[in-house]
Amino acid sequence: MNKKRAGCIGCMISLLFISGCWDSSEVNDIAIELAWGIDDAPNQKIKISAQAIVPSKIDGGQNVSSSQSGKGKPYFVITSNGVNTLDAVQQMQTKLSRKIFRGHRRVIVIGESMARRGIKEIFDTYSRDPNLKLRTDVFIIKNDTAKKFLQISYPLENVPGIGVLGEYDQIGTASKEMGLLNFLLAAASDSACPALPVVAIGMNPDVPDEEGRQDPAKSDNEGFRIAGSAIFNKELKLVGYLNVEEGRSMRWVSGNLRKLTVSETLPQGKGNVSMDIIKTKSRIHSVYQGGRLKIFVTLTGRGAIRENNTNLDLTNTKNISYLEKALNNHIEEVVTQTIIRVQKDYGTDVFGFSDAIRRKDLSLWKSIENDWGEEFQRAGIAVKAKMTVRRIGVTGPSLQLNPKEIKK
Amino acid sequence: MRIKRRRQSVRDNLANPIDTAYLPSEPIAELSSELSANDKMLREAFQGCSDIVFRPIHTSPKLLLIYTDGLVDTKTLEKVVLKPILHEGHSSGSNSIPITRDIIQEQLVAVSQIQTVPTIDDVIDGILKANIGLLIDGENKAIIAELKGFERRAVEEPAAEVSVRGPRDGFTETLRINTSLIRRRIRSPRLKMESVTLGRVSQTDIAIVYIEGIVSRTVLDEVRNRIGRIQMDGVLESGFIEEFIEDAPWSPFPQIQNTERPDVVCASLLEGKVAIIIDNTPFVMIAPMTFWTGLQAVEDYYERSIYTTFIRFVRYSLFNIALMLPSLYVALSTFHQQLIPTNLLISIANSREGVPFPTFVEALLMEFMFEGLREAGIRMPKAVGSAVSIVGALVIGQSAVQAGIVSAPVVIVVAMTGIASFAIPRYNFGTAYRLLRFPMLILAGMFGLYGIVSGIFLMIIHLNGLRSFGVPYMSPVVSPVPHNLKDIFVRAPRWMMTKRPPFSSTTNVRRIPEGQQPSPKKGEEGQ
Repeated sequence: MNKKRAGCIGCMISLLFISGCWDSSEVNDIAIELAWGIDDAPNQKIKISAQAIVPSKIDGGQNVSSSQSGKGKPYFVITSNGVNTLDAVQQMQTKLSRKIFRGHRRVIVIGESMARRGIKEIFDTYSRDPNLKLRTDVFIIKNDTAKKFLQISYPLENVPGIGVLGEYDQIGTASKEMGLLNFLLAAASDSACPALPVVAIGMNPDVPDEEGRQDPAKSDNEGFRIAGSAIFNKELKLVGYLNVEEGRSMRWVSGNLRKLTVSETLPQGKGNVSMDIIKTKSRIHSVYQGGRLKIFVTLTGRGAIRENNTNLDLTNTKNISYLEKALNNHIEEVVTQTIIRVQKDYGTDVFGFSDAIRRKDLSLWKSIENDWGEEFQRAGIAVKAKMTVRRIGVTGPSLQLNPKEIKK
Repeated sequence: MRIKRRRQSVRDNLANPIDTAYLPSEPIAELSSELSANDKMLREAFQGCSDIVFRPIHTSPKLLLIYTDGLVDTKTLEKVVLKPILHEGHSSGSNSIPITRDIIQEQLVAVSQIQTVPTIDDVIDGILKANIGLLIDGENKAIIAELKGFERRAVEEPAAEVSVRGPRDGFTETLRINTSLIRRRIRSPRLKMESVTLGRVSQTDIAIVYIEGIVSRTVLDEVRNRIGRIQMDGVLESGFIEEFIEDAPWSPFPQIQNTERPDVVCASLLEGKVAIIIDNTPFVMIAPMTFWTGLQAVEDYYERSIYTTFIRFVRYSLFNIALMLPSLYVALSTFHQQLIPTNLLISIANSREGVPFPTFVEALLMEFMFEGLREAGIRMPKAVGSAVSIVGALVIGQSAVQAGIVSAPVVIVVAMTGIASFAIPRYNFGTAYRLLRFPMLILAGMFGLYGIVSGIFLMIIHLNGLRSFGVPYMSPVVSPVPHNLKDIFVRAPRWMMTKRPPFSSTTNVRRIPEGQQPSPKKGEEGQ
């Protein structure tokens, strides 16, 4: 019996040694890829680019010797063509000594031509593959290819692909790293259309200074900026762009904005004022009136006056309500223009109106569901903004003004 | 069953030759009334024992004084035994009153503990237990008087269980001092100390200590039973007995607590546990032990409860770290790189560039070396100890990383694990975790997180099956009753812990009356 038991234990122990370990891979046997580019390629193929880090050239850690080996870029970009993503990855692997590791991808960028071709056919693997995470942000590269975007460097980040995430966060989006998920949700919805943030290469295109004008190539080769939003239709084809301001309005209406700063020049106050708005909210409700849909958007927000280039004394509540009114007018105007522009130019519901109507008024939705596209284009829009100033900063009037100039 | 029986017979075979060598041919030899015959028998028994002193005294009748040199206080012996017999005995002898046993026992020998014994064996026994033996010609009974005077260590602060606040006395190697330390804390006749002698050769004194009325009868009976079953030649440390009476000898977890602190023993006795004191060791065993006592330090009960609750949280976190950190590192960095934050993964990748070993081997190597360093630090003479730590810190901490043989994160992980494992308050409980770290590491190296989870499941299953003297090892968490959990994850203030732990007696559950929470209102009432 003892022999039997020893035999059993021996078998079990040897079982341990013959199995296992095949999934393991050392950290220095994988190429960690942080940004991923998809481009159009001839013959209905796609071109995949990956921005992988070069660990030994990353700063920090104990690698003092890296300075001797010559400090190069801490990342590199490889590119391959293929019928679909996995085919391209297999092609890519022939150029890499380490297995490409896609579990840490933070950014997917799509070149403009690819976006115009439509991304419905290539997006399956990004939600099917268990190694990939849904918490990835997707960006469209305006007027350029994804490969080009991955190749340029960014001054603040070691790996430039991460930089775009930070920029995206800074413009006040409410759902950082939820881009892919939100995109898939919107794409799968009956009527809503997805919108994706847009990145343009070059940091200072609209602030032309002396240097920039002399050497446009140089300023364009470093960095990138968020340049609004891209509008897709139901076929997941790019139909057009919104600029940054319009993109912000769109996000506010659809409830994806965390914070923003609104600046307005006052009509008679001889000056301008800026307000930091947090706690932004939007409410959408709708009625069917006179043969056409009417959509009411109510935007609310609370915030602080952070800049006041007027002679108004903000300790006076009358002045504050005056400012609130002016800001409300400004917001209403901008948002209305944005919605109307999307209605007229693209006709795609990127604001999530359809979902809001369905949630609030199912019977109304049932009646207009079939020709939503047309109804949306014809719908009347009324935007109402209600801003509340909660704080005015540490001073009432501007301190540099003579007390006589200040308007109580 | 078969294995058990065989083990028993092996034990008997080993024990028997010793028995025959030691014991006199006739087990019970009566003393004869002839002093010379007794003298001869005793000299035969003590043949070759150079430390046994035979001192014949030629009074009338003749006396023979026997004692063990070094165990008996010779100065007192001279003062209270020899002087009265030689001087006063003579003077009374001139009045021709013969010295009889009764006179010696009642008048001459001024020793508090004195008894008469009828057999040679009792005499031998008494002499070896630091008594003096006095044989009188013409009497068939001998006098055994206690005159203990051997070297004993003073009561010092225990080295292994230090506390900032609390009593500083610790047990010593002498049973009587140890029992006195307990008796001084619990001055009740209900504190019982049953005496047992164990070890056929060593004849070691053992005391089973408990408080009548609080102790759990089942546990006490079990302790008596198991100690009674032991057959061994010598008991030199409490560990000798522990291995015979524990429930699961192959478990890495200790099932009997040991301590050097009398306050810990007294607290356990008041909770209804049983203490086993063994002569010649300062370590006292307490049964039953639960998993949670392994994570409680003595100071938990002396510091304020809020602070203690926080420290317990720290301790519980650290003991999880001690068990799992290296294996988690290996599992995450070789199987589940997705789970590491990106920046951390990048710096791990950076420091792993050019390291020749796989992460698993690296971690195993460093853990192994750390255990070696710890072991060397304990065993080395104190003068060399500092050299060990310098070499260890330099070689392992710095040079190995700089030479690129191991990566820095592994060193950090091993160091954190080391610190965490030292934060487990009971030393023998900490050893269990240090031991289990290695199987966990191997499981992690083979199966990743799956391996770690299976390892933890196995451990939990094992722990839940474990019992210590009939008490579930994980109690009271296994069948939680709210009031029992007041001393597990938190440490409730003393006035809230009104009941004793559930494993002790069912009759005397209430420890203190309810409603003793201090408040200003009560103070006013008092005035």
